[in-house]
Amino acid sequence: MANWIPLWVHKLSSPPNFYRFAGTLRPWALGLALLLGAIALYGGLVLAPADYQQGDAYRIIFIHVPCAWMGLFVYGVMAIASFISLVWRIKLAEVVAMESAPIGAAFTFITLCTGSLWGKPMWGTWWTWDARLTSELVLLFLYLGVIGLYHSFEDRRQGARAAAFLAIIGIINVPIVHFSVNWWNTLHQGSTVRLLGPSKMSGDMLWPLLTMMAATKFYYIASLFGRVRTDLLSLESGKDWVRQIAEAQGHAAAKQEGRR
Amino acid sequence: MSAFSWDSFIAMGGYAAYVWPAYAVFFIVLIADYVSPTLRRRRDLRELRARMARQSARQQRPPSAS
Amino acid sequence: MGVRMSRTRLSTACVAVLRRDLTLAWRRRGDIVMPVLYALIVITLFPFALGPEDALLQRIAGGVVLVTMLLAMLLALDAMFRSDIEDGSLEQLMLSPQPLALMLGMKILAHWITTALPLILIAPLLAGMLHLPAPVMPVLVYALLLATPLLSLLGAVLVALTAGTRRSGMLLALMLLPLCVPVVIFAAGAVAAAQQGLPWLAPMAWLGAALVMALVLAPLACAAALRIALDA
Repeated sequence: MANWIPLWVHKLSSPPNFYRFAGTLRPWALGLALLLGAIALYGGLVLAPADYQQGDAYRIIFIHVPCAWMGLFVYGVMAIASFISLVWRIKLAEVVAMESAPIGAAFTFITLCTGSLWGKPMWGTWWTWDARLTSELVLLFLYLGVIGLYHSFEDRRQGARAAAFLAIIGIINVPIVHFSVNWWNTLHQGSTVRLLGPSKMSGDMLWPLLTMMAATKFYYIASLFGRVRTDLLSLESGKDWVRQIAEAQGHAAAKQEGRR
Repeated sequence: MSAFSWDSFIAMGGYAAYVWPAYAVFFIVLIADYVSPTLRRRRDLRELRARMARQSARQQRPPSAS
Repeated sequence: MGVRMSRTRLSTACVAVLRRDLTLAWRRRGDIVMPVLYALIVITLFPFALGPEDALLQRIAGGVVLVTMLLAMLLALDAMFRSDIEDGSLEQLMLSPQPLALMLGMKILAHWITTALPLILIAPLLAGMLHLPAPVMPVLVYALLLATPLLSLLGAVLVALTAGTRRSGMLLALMLLPLCVPVVIFAAGAVAAAQQGLPWLAPMAWLGAALVMALVLAPLACAAALRIALDA
């Protein structure tokens, strides 16, 4: 471990400490996500007026765009965690990187589904080889590759390190794909229909969108922490602190199911 | 702006068939994503408890020649 | 004096690795023919599926040949390090004093010569079967000459990553797809542009730039990936 890393980072990255830390933070993150999500949905579905061109169909934007943004954001987090895990071999970074992948894949999947549900009434087709849709599909394949590689190793830590390497190759690839797909689109002059007119959003459409973006961030934190806690337990199942948790849960389970 | 009515809210200006499935996908996928580690965790802990119970049983009763 | 010695030793090591791989490949000549045969079969299937209309086949010829080459290479990719891992010679290579990246570069070169070169040789024939106009043929060959080494280099990194796993065929395809999208776009784009009488140098230049980058970085990445995957 390098000297310049502050002590608290070092302490926090030890599995039992992070397990406890994530456990206390997770309900708050989920609560904030639900609260902000509810406000955003109310603002987006009820308060915001219908679009003068697209009618009410544009309301898909309030989940489509935040999910698209999260798909990229989570990939970024995954790549950074991968880099840290390969350079400093911190177990926590490996776990964060590998547990980010399914969440990012889920967001990307939602983006593709909602995008085609939006495209059907607007473009008249479920799927068009538009530059952005194509890049999004490639992003989903990148995620699936990382997940697939991780699970194909017998040894989980080794799998995590190989998949982390792939994630780093992938993030170099993302801008290249974006650039090449744009070039390809101009070459073949495909559909030039754009769903999002630039900066034509009025304020009462914009604030629900931004609120939903914040909500998905908090959701990501909540989901990631839950996954990391689960993973830490099974990775460290031989250690004392895990055994204590298992025993405590066993006693609690005798009366009622433990909530956290 | 007219008063809020459930019927027009559900109808979504004729786009209900697209808007509501989109929101359904959003919620179903995220709920599945959120619940799956919880279930995995419960199973892992149950297995660990079973293993610990087996170990302690073995320690209390040393194996008779078998 | 010492530098010179080590340099000559390095080049002999490179030549030795290359010669060994080529000899091994030559002993199993059947394996070299396989991708070529596969490409021929796929190309034959297209007219059956789409109908033997000249105009239609001509329009899709460039893209179909490129994708077929890609799939044929993917088929052979899995075997790149397989036998070396099984007989332990890869571990010998990793322990040897010579830089691993350079040795792996030689192995990739050998693999490219044995799988991609036959495919490039047969490509004009395949494109001719789909009625690709003769003036476009050189562009197709140039595009393949730039795209296939790129695919070999990218593929090698991924093969190295899956070296520690048992089954990797489908996984390799899944991992390679996002990486080969730009390669396919620019290679097919150059051919399409040539077919329409447009300038095709720009996409070719991009391919060339990517190839230079990959030539430098991919062997290093491949070595790093191999050390991770084999946990050495």
